[in-house]
Amino acid sequence: MIEVKDLTVRFGGVTSLDSMNVTFEPGTCGLIGPNGAGKTTFFNVLSGFVRPASGSVRAFGDDLLSVVHFRRARWGLRRTFQTEQAIEDLSVYDNVAIVHEHARQRGTARRRDVLDAISFAGLDVDPHAKVGTLGAGQRRLVELARAVVGRPKLVLLDEPAAGLPDEETRNLADVIGRIPSRTGALTILVDHDMSLVSACCQTTAVLDFGRLIASGPTAEVLRDEQVTRAYLGTADVT
Amino acid sequence: MPSWQDFQPFIVTGLALGGVYALSGVGLVVLYRATGVVYLAFGAVGAMGALIAWSVTNAHVQAWVGWLACLLFSGAVTLGYGMLFGPALSKRDPLVKATATLGLLLVLFGLMDLLWTTSGGQSRAITLPTDNSGFIIGQIQVTWTQVIGLAAGFAITAVTGAFLRYTKLGTAMRAMANDREITATLGVPVRRVEAAAWLGCGLLAGLAGLLLADMVALDATTLTFLVISALAAALIGRLRSITLTLAAAIVIGLVQNLLVPIPSLSNYNDMTPFVLAATALLVLSRRHVIARSREET
Amino acid sequence: MLDTADARTGGRRQFRLRRPGPGTLVRAAVVTGLLLILLFAAPALLSAYYVDSMTQVAVYAMLAIGLGLLVGRVGLVSLGQIAVFAIGAWVTARLLFATSQPYPLVLLEAGASTMAVGTLVGLPALRLRGLYLALITLMLAGAFSIVLATTNFPNGGHGFLGYNGSSVHIPPIRRPSIATTDPAYFRYAVAVAALMFALVYAHIRTRPGRAWIAIRQSEPAAIAAGINTTMYKLWAFALASFITGVAGGIYAGAVHFLYSIDFPAQDSIILLAVVLMGGVYSMWGAIVAALLLQLLPALLNDWGVSADWLTILFGVGVLQVLTTAPAGLADQVPKDLARLGRLILRSTGPRHRQGVSEHDRG
Repeated sequence: MIEVKDLTVRFGGVTSLDSMNVTFEPGTCGLIGPNGAGKTTFFNVLSGFVRPASGSVRAFGDDLLSVVHFRRARWGLRRTFQTEQAIEDLSVYDNVAIVHEHARQRGTARRRDVLDAISFAGLDVDPHAKVGTLGAGQRRLVELARAVVGRPKLVLLDEPAAGLPDEETRNLADVIGRIPSRTGALTILVDHDMSLVSACCQTTAVLDFGRLIASGPTAEVLRDEQVTRAYLGTADVT
Repeated sequence: MPSWQDFQPFIVTGLALGGVYALSGVGLVVLYRATGVVYLAFGAVGAMGALIAWSVTNAHVQAWVGWLACLLFSGAVTLGYGMLFGPALSKRDPLVKATATLGLLLVLFGLMDLLWTTSGGQSRAITLPTDNSGFIIGQIQVTWTQVIGLAAGFAITAVTGAFLRYTKLGTAMRAMANDREITATLGVPVRRVEAAAWLGCGLLAGLAGLLLADMVALDATTLTFLVISALAAALIGRLRSITLTLAAAIVIGLVQNLLVPIPSLSNYNDMTPFVLAATALLVLSRRHVIARSREET
Repeated sequence: MLDTADARTGGRRQFRLRRPGPGTLVRAAVVTGLLLILLFAAPALLSAYYVDSMTQVAVYAMLAIGLGLLVGRVGLVSLGQIAVFAIGAWVTARLLFATSQPYPLVLLEAGASTMAVGTLVGLPALRLRGLYLALITLMLAGAFSIVLATTNFPNGGHGFLGYNGSSVHIPPIRRPSIATTDPAYFRYAVAVAALMFALVYAHIRTRPGRAWIAIRQSEPAAIAAGINTTMYKLWAFALASFITGVAGGIYAGAVHFLYSIDFPAQDSIILLAVVLMGGVYSMWGAIVAALLLQLLPALLNDWGVSADWLTILFGVGVLQVLTTAPAGLADQVPKDLARLGRLILRSTGPRHRQGVSEHDRG
């Protein structure tokens, strides 16, 4: 499980994360909140792109923030980004294999692990095909394959279905739902699509202005008045 | 170690040059803030303008016609470049935009050598009427040209600062420095603001070209690469603060010239802008944490 | 154009063994053929003037592939390659005068020195964003050119700098014993250049090449995939610097006498211009760049046209490439030729059917 204590991030005059305290249980957790709430900033802290002003993150007993950013993949961190980052000039196989080889997994099992990840993601394409020739939905699946290859401990998905039509979103939801059972990894899903979050996540945490305002079983959280207010705003003050 | 007296004339030349570097640096900063372009062809444009002024004078036309031609040329070429290539490159990385200006630099460089070849061993010079009159401070001789150089640096910085803060056009430029797209949606005539920035920068390039041709040498290569000194000042000003650019420019000019009377360092005085700029860049880089992820929260 | 999809042997049923396709074989044949022609036929067919120019083409092809590697593969623009080139030439000259080491060893040492310099510069510089990195290389190169103007190149003198300002008789820089004549040295230069290209190719097709592609696409995503981006960027810097240094060594032997005015600052800008025009994503682009830079001026000179027109052309070329054809001539010309070919086919009658070729996507 992941324990976040008093995490604070400041950019110039803006406090993106304000003493964020939250615990993520094993399984798939949603992380929602209005735009600017700090969700991607939180992911960037976990990835090591942003140094927090204060606070700590304990993941499976390890002090994650003390690990150098590029070594976190070896530790078991995987991540997808809001804008598609599958490498167009490389093949599907190479895209997934690159994560495997740099996360320093054993070379002999590489072919098997990579092909397993590709089929887990439900990608029915020639692994030699260049990602540049694939459609948007398939590219997102390539990113998912990259997120599950090897032995991930923590999988971060940042709006994995952004820009996809409903059917492909449902397909993606299905794959995401199977991640914990296949890899044992704790998955955190950031998205604005509430049906995706309800479908995949057992628990959900809600951020607003860099602070946690609710967390618990997904269905309850989505009904919480505070959460609706944060998204929609209210006419009255307090 | 040379005496105080030996240094004195170099203080004057240093200040004068620093002033011209300052007005160039301010031009570079304002253009960068308005368009995202580091105008590396600034020196080349000024150089060609100065050569045009020389040709006009050489043809026995009144000197001021030459100066006007210089300013018109630099303004027109810079504005033309900005209007032709600005839009095509507006969404690209600042690195690409800066590299594109290198294309303009090469075109001008080639033209200058073609039209004003130096292979004949001929040396040219620009003289301004203010070269021959001046005054004496203590034991130092100061020409009016040098005063103009220094004063122009301060004046341009002050005027530009006021312009950016108090006029509509200036405020629009500052807004665009933050975000071109958003500014456009606010109804600001983005193209017109950019055109103003390009034209202003071009005119400053012409002015700097004339003054530097007078103070340093009328040589295409020398003048083209003097942009580096101005760029160094602008970088120390973090491509943002024109007052810091002014201060840096004066320091660069002074240090560069004060090293000349010191025998062991004299040969290396031209390294000043390079070394100062490189140091500034390295110090600046410490502030950035990691390559920013392009996404927003 | 280099295809980066790998052929892999499979262990699973749907993963067939990929035999090298016809494209790869044709390319290999073309390259081998060209090399053979260059090595054996060219020196006999070309006049001394052009043998000299083609030797320079070999040298600048190495410079171009070094810069192309930085710009195309890793997205780093360096405006200081000529300074590295000069250092390579300097070290070579110094060692050749001071020792009697064999030429290949001297070249390796020159490459190692420039590799060290490149890495040292790269370490702090790589933290900078693209534009600032380019500017800092410009600044450092400028500072270096001033130092060079004062220290000059070794000319057989003593002391660390090996420069004797009052030398009357300056000895020429020697050539390898197996290649003392111009045609022989031309072959030597081509062989060394081919080795350097092979070295780059080996990198591109293996792990560093893939890592560089990932970094070029998105550095954060590369870091998230576990790639030590700083190390791989440094590696690119080191490799490019090594090759540039070796190029400097070959240059020293080619010209016999080195002068600081032969390494002006604007040459770094012109080098970048032709590398962009030639195309940074393919190794052929480096050859195109070198031809533009050394053969074209030689031709123009022969015909009495000023080289300034080339400078202007390169300036226009940069603008054209950056605004319309980011992949450069090496990518554009085959596409244009293919389009031309289809036009010709189409116009020769309705009996010829056209399928959509992969070039059509261009």
